[in-house]
Amino acid sequence: MIRKILTSTALATCMAAPALAEDATGVLNNYSDIAAATYEDSLIAAQRLKETIDAFVAAPTAEGLTAARAAWLAARVPYQQSEVFRFGNAIVDDWEGKVNAWPLDEGLIDYVDGAYGGPTDENMLAALNVIANPTFSVSGEDIDASMITPALLEETLHEADGVEANVATGYHAIEFLLWGQDLNGHGAGAGARPYTDFIQGDGCTGGNCDRRAEYLTAATDLLISDLEWMAAQWVEGGDARETLLADPDAGIVAMLTGMGSLSYGEQAGERMRLGLMLNDPEEEHDCFADNTHNSHYYVGAGIQNVYLGEYVRIDGSLVSGPALADLVAAADADLDTEMRTRLAETMRALGRIKSAAEAGFTYDMMLERGNEAGEALIMGGVNSLVSQTQSIERVVAALDLSSIEFEGSDSLDNPSAVFE
Amino acid sequence: MLRFVATCAALALPAATEAQTPSEIVVTALDRHVLPGYAALTEATGALAAAAEADCAAESLDLRSTYHTAFDAWMGVAHLTFGPAETDNRFFALAFWPDARGATPRGLSQLIANADPVVEDADAFATVSVASRGFYALEFLLYDDTVSAAGDPAYRCALVRAVTADIDLTAQTLRTDWEGEFAGLMRDAGTNDRFQSPEEALRLLFTSLDQGLEFTADLRLGRPLGSFDRPRPNLAEARRSGRSLQQVTLSLEALSELASILSAGQPELQAALAMAFDTALDRAAAVDDPVFAGVGDPLGRIRIEGLQVQVGDIRDITRADLGPALGVAAGFNALDGD
Repeated sequence: MIRKILTSTALATCMAAPALAEDATGVLNNYSDIAAATYEDSLIAAQRLKETIDAFVAAPTAEGLTAARAAWLAARVPYQQSEVFRFGNAIVDDWEGKVNAWPLDEGLIDYVDGAYGGPTDENMLAALNVIANPTFSVSGEDIDASMITPALLEETLHEADGVEANVATGYHAIEFLLWGQDLNGHGAGAGARPYTDFIQGDGCTGGNCDRRAEYLTAATDLLISDLEWMAAQWVEGGDARETLLADPDAGIVAMLTGMGSLSYGEQAGERMRLGLMLNDPEEEHDCFADNTHNSHYYVGAGIQNVYLGEYVRIDGSLVSGPALADLVAAADADLDTEMRTRLAETMRALGRIKSAAEAGFTYDMMLERGNEAGEALIMGGVNSLVSQTQSIERVVAALDLSSIEFEGSDSLDNPSAVFE
Repeated sequence: MLRFVATCAALALPAATEAQTPSEIVVTALDRHVLPGYAALTEATGALAAAAEADCAAESLDLRSTYHTAFDAWMGVAHLTFGPAETDNRFFALAFWPDARGATPRGLSQLIANADPVVEDADAFATVSVASRGFYALEFLLYDDTVSAAGDPAYRCALVRAVTADIDLTAQTLRTDWEGEFAGLMRDAGTNDRFQSPEEALRLLFTSLDQGLEFTADLRLGRPLGSFDRPRPNLAEARRSGRSLQQVTLSLEALSELASILSAGQPELQAALAMAFDTALDRAAAVDDPVFAGVGDPLGRIRIEGLQVQVGDIRDITRADLGPALGVAAGFNALDGD
């Protein structure tokens, strides 16, 4: 019986194959165009962030810090929409940890509140405080950190001692330097680092203001060079695009893998369900800035972008072309309707979290033990992400791509990759 | 002995010489694996809650023995992370692990330090962080030197009773949901919206097998192994109660049973899988290191790595041969992501 099904499916596939391959190439080119635009937008927004940070560090004022924070928030909009490119594309997955690693033990970087604690079983460097310490040792090796450079952050500090929570680079390191710890617990309010933490000489608060400014500048420069590199991988002739086009079937699977792995294990599981179940405001994706509602929303939008083959750039222009939706509609029109509906339901659920947060019911408050309204909002997002994952699995089956493996680079073939 | 267990599991199944339909396989899995697993779990959690009522002292032999029995029973269904286990986060409410940020000891210490009255009401206790609920939290209350001696003994006693009652209630609800609704949806797959075809129900079971193997290889074994230069014995699962190796063995036995059911229509493949599981179970028996304390010792490490490699090989067979034979591929699982 099963053999029969397989044989008939195989026959159907053979007949449909040439048309699908042609269509798939168009879809993959548009997908690559969207990725290129999303990363280029992330780069442009990061360059704007750098302008505000340079100005702020040169002459620290409260207004300057506010401008830098606003630029960081704007920079997250395109970047979060790029996360859907991660899991299916090894070139992105291998790189992503440098720019968006989370959660982090922020005591590695700078001063923290006493309640934060010190070194832990999991991380000996959890409270290292590089900004206050120009020399220290990591895994028995003496480190000279008298100059805080992009190379020091990237090569020595990031994931030091093999611990993933030692996040020295990327958006969240910059976020911590701009906002500081959010000490409001489940109350409203984000981190409240004073602008005086960056004053050179008299008036410096928090100590080592020169090194703090050096760190912020180095981390921002590094973010820009990392984004430049990734944007280049997606233009015509870039490695990421060429890899997909070389094997269109595998390319389509990469698209779906990115959508499904991000929807289920990462977004619904790690980022939303876990924080809620732990009632832990530290388990928020953009916890220092209290920007988690936006972080979730734009992750959802990125997934929808890939299915519909559309992306609105940060200058308002639209990138669009042949879409995964077209392939699905040709194979099974009802399934295409179902997939579109599920994606829209997710955006509605994530939109509710965003609008409630923007109106003052912040994500930290939603996470509090016994807060039924917050739980309902967050579980609404989780449940719709779980439902859309089921539809994504149906799409994989309907396009008869199921013999190709899911998952990104972390696998049993290389189990050490998960823990190093 | 272990070999015997896996072989028996294979023999106990209908001698299927003919291929089975996806529906038939799903029904067999429900009747011989899923539903009996939950029935055994609720029996054991009921005994656990009763033992805590009778004597809540951390060193109570009866309490400790029912803790182990109930945890053993949980391992029979711990790979079934979908459906009723996903509803209301029940899976994590019973089994929150790994705990990379130390939320379990921190959460329990806070409850104890504040003598939080939430333990007095079962509905209220169900809103507590999952890190302070379930089997792994109970392990800290019974076996961790610090937590088991913290604060007021009377409060700790109430907390132990709240945790065990909550485990039992969650397990009972899981069973009720499975028997009352979800098993029916799987049986009638193709006639409801949750399962639009029998293959979808089969895919979910196949994904559970695949994810269970991944969990055991990457987390139960991979976390304590760490890297050669940086082994991490303190990250071994349930090491305080000496269960780390036991967890691996029990998960392999449960997954072996499921694999045998899924492959029943393919006798050669079924035999190959049984042999691969037997090899893994033999290697587990040879480890002789109940909490993987020897991951930093070259000889001890080799044995544990050998076990991990074998679990990986089973997963390869599953993905390369069993999936195609069933006409399904593993769906997305909770371990996707970073």
